[in-house]
Amino acid sequence: METTSTFTLAMRRAGAYFKKPWNVVLLVVGVALTITTVSAMSAIVLDTVTVHPGQSDDPTGAGANCALFSTSTSCYTLLNWKNLFAPAMGKLLEVNFLTPLLNSVLLAAFACLVALVYGGIFAYLVTRTDMPCRKWLSAIFIFPYVMPQWTLAVVWRNLFNSAEVTGGSDGLLASVFGLRMPLWWCQGLFPSSLVLGLHYSAFAYIFIGAIFRNMDANLEEAATILNTPRWKTFLRITLPMIKPAIYSTTLLVFSSAMGSYPVPHYLKLSTLTTQYVSMNVAKAGQASILAVTMMLFGIALMVGNQLTTSGRKSYTTVSGKSGQISKIQLGSVGRWVIAGVFLVLTLFTSIYPIIAFAFETFLPNPGDYSFLRTGDPDDLTTKWWTTSDTNDSSLFGQPGILFNPTIWGGVRGQLIVAVGAALIAGTIGLLIGYCVAKNRRSKWANFVNNMAFLPYLMPALAVGVAFFIFGSSLGLFNTFALLIITGTIKYIPFASRAALNSMLQLSNEIEESAMIQGIPWWKRMVRIIIPIQKTSIISGYMLPFMTCLRELTLFMLLCSQTKIITLELDYFDEMGLYAYSSAINLILIVIILVCNTAVNKLTGASIDKGLGG
Amino acid sequence: MRRSLALLSVVALAFPLAACSSGESGSGAADSELSAVIAQAQGLSSQELYKKAIEESKGKTMYGIGNSSRGSTAAESFIAELQKIDPSYDGKIEWSQPKNNSIFQALSADINSAKHTYSMTLIQDGNQIQSKMLATGNLLNFIPKDWGGDQAKDGNPLTLQTIGKVFMVNNLGSKKYTNVWDFVAEGEKPMFMGVNSEPVGKNFLYMLTSPKYADELKAAFDKLPADQQAYFQKTVDEVAPDVETLGLEGDNAKYGLAWAKLWAAQYNEKTDDGPICNDLVTKSAAGSTALIVYSKLRSIEESDSASVKNVDIAAYQDDYTGFGGYGYKHYLMLTKTSPLPWTAMAFINYMSTTQDGFAAWGKDIGGYGAYSAINQDHSNDGGDEFPAKNDKGPSWWLDDSAGRLVIEDPVYTSKVSTTMGDWIDMIVGQKS
Repeated sequence: METTSTFTLAMRRAGAYFKKPWNVVLLVVGVALTITTVSAMSAIVLDTVTVHPGQSDDPTGAGANCALFSTSTSCYTLLNWKNLFAPAMGKLLEVNFLTPLLNSVLLAAFACLVALVYGGIFAYLVTRTDMPCRKWLSAIFIFPYVMPQWTLAVVWRNLFNSAEVTGGSDGLLASVFGLRMPLWWCQGLFPSSLVLGLHYSAFAYIFIGAIFRNMDANLEEAATILNTPRWKTFLRITLPMIKPAIYSTTLLVFSSAMGSYPVPHYLKLSTLTTQYVSMNVAKAGQASILAVTMMLFGIALMVGNQLTTSGRKSYTTVSGKSGQISKIQLGSVGRWVIAGVFLVLTLFTSIYPIIAFAFETFLPNPGDYSFLRTGDPDDLTTKWWTTSDTNDSSLFGQPGILFNPTIWGGVRGQLIVAVGAALIAGTIGLLIGYCVAKNRRSKWANFVNNMAFLPYLMPALAVGVAFFIFGSSLGLFNTFALLIITGTIKYIPFASRAALNSMLQLSNEIEESAMIQGIPWWKRMVRIIIPIQKTSIISGYMLPFMTCLRELTLFMLLCSQTKIITLELDYFDEMGLYAYSSAINLILIVIILVCNTAVNKLTGASIDKGLGG
Repeated sequence: MRRSLALLSVVALAFPLAACSSGESGSGAADSELSAVIAQAQGLSSQELYKKAIEESKGKTMYGIGNSSRGSTAAESFIAELQKIDPSYDGKIEWSQPKNNSIFQALSADINSAKHTYSMTLIQDGNQIQSKMLATGNLLNFIPKDWGGDQAKDGNPLTLQTIGKVFMVNNLGSKKYTNVWDFVAEGEKPMFMGVNSEPVGKNFLYMLTSPKYADELKAAFDKLPADQQAYFQKTVDEVAPDVETLGLEGDNAKYGLAWAKLWAAQYNEKTDDGPICNDLVTKSAAGSTALIVYSKLRSIEESDSASVKNVDIAAYQDDYTGFGGYGYKHYLMLTKTSPLPWTAMAFINYMSTTQDGFAAWGKDIGGYGAYSAINQDHSNDGGDEFPAKNDKGPSWWLDDSAGRLVIEDPVYTSKVSTTMGDWIDMIVGQKS
């Protein structure tokens, strides 16, 4: 009797719980996310103790009889851990693990520093000073983020390489002006950090800029009235106010930089990602340990994120309600000098690459700058665009860009992945944001929110590895389905964070009045919630779209290199066919800018707003 | 909460396990069935094979995967060939080229999954093929009846072609390179693809320790002037103890090991042979050297700063001593789970036995079909103006007294790769 009543009570409670649509959504999405994320992560861990047929962890050849995830104990070994951390040749530990680890951490840390300093100063100048050309500078500042991250690395290499230092032929500056930079400038940690820092400085600009733009200037004004020096006001008042943005930027840039493969690859820096790719050929199990290491950094970052967000209350000097934003006067000369400096910097990081890409498509040989010396139009060519057959040997057996079905097929493939991932990630993110906002005190809601955010803090390569192993086991390798699932999981945080922030701004009363009238949940969403917050929500779709459109590291293990355009772009770059890769870069930039402008004109949403969400 | 999390974790772990268990069953029977089909196919002529392929794949798509993108060009030509026999044939071939070295993972994943995609492959890297594909039985061999190559050398696995990577020198510098040891002399930084980004480069270094090539290196060493011998002798003595540790055989293995060590420590790593070639032909690369695929020279357009005339093929010099480069192979094989085996074998037959089928590769210098009848003559491609492009052909490059390419042997490379792979990684890793 008692059991029956307990059961009935439990059923009633469950019924009441599931009557609220947000609880159902949270349960379904939470379970799905947990399964996909945890399964993928478990697959990497399992791979570190799995025997790989024909590799160093299979000295007896027993691996030949092992299927993936075999249940036989002879298919598992600790040899990978032993070989990585206690190798027979002592220096291998340093080569395979310690040096790449140190370089990865330094790369991520310096990239954060560059992004924060460059993006932070720019944000301050644009939002808090009377610097001229702010609108124009602001628009082009995010270009490096729009472009695939390694394009700046390729530009750097083409600009600064010199036969004396890097070997091979001269780059543009050495070739035309005889300018030769030292090796540390051309390759390694310095250029890699700088390139990644510049690429991700958009994060700092948008996060920090959002606070500067909305902050209450009363405190700063009070300090000014009390004759506090400007530097002291900045250190004691302004800086603490932007601490949350600094934390957010650091978390995102650190994890993104740590997971970057192409930049250190092109600029010759041994990191965990480059070492993973290198070891994956013959030591897949040891490579998976590197992926686990990257994963652990991701988890540590999530814990860090939790700690910083839970402590944000102490920085609530940002009211977001004051309209009193005082502009600092930079002086009649100073404002133009500073604008000039940023004009030059952004021209180099944003405009020069586009001009260089366009120019590259008219060179007779990749990197052949004869025209700049001779001025002879015969040293330029349109063959890379207009050749229509594959028999022209000077194009390495490829037809020209306009007639190249592989390139346009890759663009189509990338658009399928980007649209698919953006639609699913945007929708799931919207639902998570809405449901978490409705269940602010629920531990399960927090768990789902964190589970959704975790893949973003994981280095992209680690997520790629996880989904490669996971997807292969399900026969999904080289399918759009796997690419879309991976893109969705990785970029849900863009949408969920944007949606959560916008939903938290909504008063419950708005929905309650509709509930009283008995309007169903889906109708309330479509007719009330979404229209009110459409700008943030559309941005939540735009960011996964744009990021997927230029993503390489995440997808590089998941499909053949002609399936999507970023893999083809990387292939052409590696092959030294810079005309093709430059043209692809231009195509991607145009697609992203056209989409962003169209959405901005139609709805008022834009990439900037999404990032700041 | 904890309980539910634990439960979810178990579900998450069990999910892939359950999903994959299906891959373990049933492959044995299918395997032997396919072996019988292959045995039958090996007795059929080209025309008979093409008819079988038409019958099997009409209205269907066969998926092939390969290290060379030109497989798709060969596929188009093959479809046209089948349409000559049956104009209504509407089968297709989808060709994919996986990134970097993921072809082995792609094939393994496909073979182990419940639903199979790939029917055949054009694959390189004898070491990995031997250890990951032949030892596991994942790939099966098929030798066409009409194929006239040397079965002992190129039959198992079936070789489509040997691709020559040859030593090239930018001749605008003053130094001469007349001995293979000159490329690893003090201060030399020859351009080369990373040995882990293109593992056939590592196979080349493995092969140098085999008795045949170690003896050749010793012979070249003996012809060096005394001062250079003294310089290299230090490295030879230094690596001598490693010969035993690495399980190598032969009296001269230490010479192979010494050359490999100097090369690994000194080469200037580049992402691909294409950019190396683009660099090498420029005026600013005066005196630079490289070991790259011969055919890359075909794509250079003459300009103010770049010219094929700036490059010499080291082995073409009359007084050159030692090997002129190395040759790696493209193999053609069937997956053991091939969904369309007849079509796959007909395609393999077409590429390996006909000049049209091999034309995608054969039209250029530096690629030598294992069946000599499919090769084209490139001995005068460059004429007097660009002598570097006058390919002396397979009979010269593969001759032990002429071009002397170091040829990869899958069995030898897989035997030494475990220990020597680490040894090379250590040297390469320490320089970066």
